[in-house]
Amino acid sequence: MLLAFGNFTADPSVNLQLLIGGLALGAIYAVVALGFVLVYKSTDVLNLAHGEFLMLGAYFALTFLISENLNFFLGVFVLLLVMLVFGLLVHYGIMRRMVGQGFFAIVLITLGIATIIRALLLIFYGPTERARLDLLPQGSFEIGGATVRYVDLIIFAVVALCVLLFFLFFKYTRLGLHMRAVADDIEAAAAMGIDPDKVYAMTWAAAMVMAGVGGLLFGHVTGAIDRSIEAIGLRAFPAAVVGGLTSLGGSIVGGLVVGVIEQFANGHLGTKWREPVAFSVMFVVLLVRPTGLWGRKDLERV
Amino acid sequence: MSITGLDLKIQGLTVVYGGVTALNDVHITVPSGGFVSVLGANGAGKTTLVRSITSLLYLHKGRVRRGGIELGGKSILGKKGPDIVKAGVAQVPEGRKLFPNLTVKENLLCGAASRKDISGIDESLEQNLELFSQLRPLLNQTAGLLSGGEQQMVAVGRALMSQPALLICDELSLGLAPKIVHRLFELLTEINETRGTSILVIEQNASLALQHANDAYVLELGRVLMEGTAAELRGNPMVQELYLGGGGEAHTSYAAIERPGRSRPLEHGQRPPVAES
Repeated sequence: MLLAFGNFTADPSVNLQLLIGGLALGAIYAVVALGFVLVYKSTDVLNLAHGEFLMLGAYFALTFLISENLNFFLGVFVLLLVMLVFGLLVHYGIMRRMVGQGFFAIVLITLGIATIIRALLLIFYGPTERARLDLLPQGSFEIGGATVRYVDLIIFAVVALCVLLFFLFFKYTRLGLHMRAVADDIEAAAAMGIDPDKVYAMTWAAAMVMAGVGGLLFGHVTGAIDRSIEAIGLRAFPAAVVGGLTSLGGSIVGGLVVGVIEQFANGHLGTKWREPVAFSVMFVVLLVRPTGLWGRKDLERV
Repeated sequence: MSITGLDLKIQGLTVVYGGVTALNDVHITVPSGGFVSVLGANGAGKTTLVRSITSLLYLHKGRVRRGGIELGGKSILGKKGPDIVKAGVAQVPEGRKLFPNLTVKENLLCGAASRKDISGIDESLEQNLELFSQLRPLLNQTAGLLSGGEQQMVAVGRALMSQPALLICDELSLGLAPKIVHRLFELLTEINETRGTSILVIEQNASLALQHANDAYVLELGRVLMEGTAAELRGNPMVQELYLGGGGEAHTSYAAIERPGRSRPLEHGQRPPVAES
């Protein structure tokens, strides 16, 4: 039994604390995974720049909410609006030219975008790290001997709300229907008069907005905001893959599962085991189910 | 209100994929309210013809080198896909190409993607369900789980949702039982006669296509080999032998008879096809 070594403890309050921490971490992963899934599902692009998108969101949150000191809701609105514009920029400036190119070439382009974002952040924000955001309530309360932070509860609620909004959007709006149609069969969609170009632009905009939300939330729980937080993209990758990369619901479940497993590995085996365990979970899932737990092969619907 | 009274004129159309010529100086006319079929074996250029009309060539790295395509006297060549649908052309793609994860109703609604009159969409949906009554109980089923015949009905219904002046059906009969194909062609004739929608069918099943169409063209290796009324072509011995399963030696194509040992005629000055690097 893997958990039998390390500083394993059966103390229920410790395990409850790890579970709560894991769910909180998982909610962050879910936000990131949602961004991966949105883009992959609709445009067939594996976007390796999503961690950088999120970092961009966190830095913009610093600018609008701390430096400019805007009212919280106004600041969030401006942040998401700016992210939306950047999403459109990514599509119309770069990705649009890549439609129809090879899968791998496009993945490399996203790596290029990631590099550019990192460089731009270095140029405009400098190398020094900033304190994490503190705009959401900072307190906590006790339950069963474990501490629950308000900020984690808020993250949870926001993630649930985002998923619900996406679900309603895809199910009940015309644009949502067209986005699902393009995801199903781009050529047939084009033949029906759906403009894939418009759908792709909306997808990138939505992914950027999600990254804005993710950056704002992650900015509250990370140690400090610097140019290393883009690593959250890679760390959330197993969550997206476990969920199946094409299922919105899957990205949530994948995020929570990986988050909890990581946190238990962290608590019982030590920090160095966190990522190896997370990626092992991903490998095992891929071996058993190559499409992930909720992959496209099941005629899954959003 | 559907748009009617638009004729389709294809003139001198030449289409290439890389160095390979897929269509060569093709002239085809579908008169307003007409029912035209284009016959041809695999590789004759039928699907390329459809892609040229519906502007989907770019998805396959093809391009129009010469010629024109006009609908109601206005060029639709090079227009974007959505604009072509708005201009009045709808298609039933080869292999149906439904959205397998969407429901039947959602598939039908996607056909109305280019329409601005939201209120008219429900009306069209109802019209379609009267025509394809067996789809009514299946509205909330996932389209990928339907039988082939039902799927083809959804595909035709989906195309009709844009209220087209011209309906293009690419290989409607492919993989379906003869009885179902028969029924589908009857429905096409009904749509043609009652709504005045022009119909262009691209078919391998020549006997059925020639029964229902007014005019027909035979495409062979990217060129129009024969054209005439459907009755004329039904009576043509060459058509009978090659496409209607007539007696005599089994030839796979006209080219095999006329140009033994050469699989594809080369245009003057054209490079032989080479693999792109």
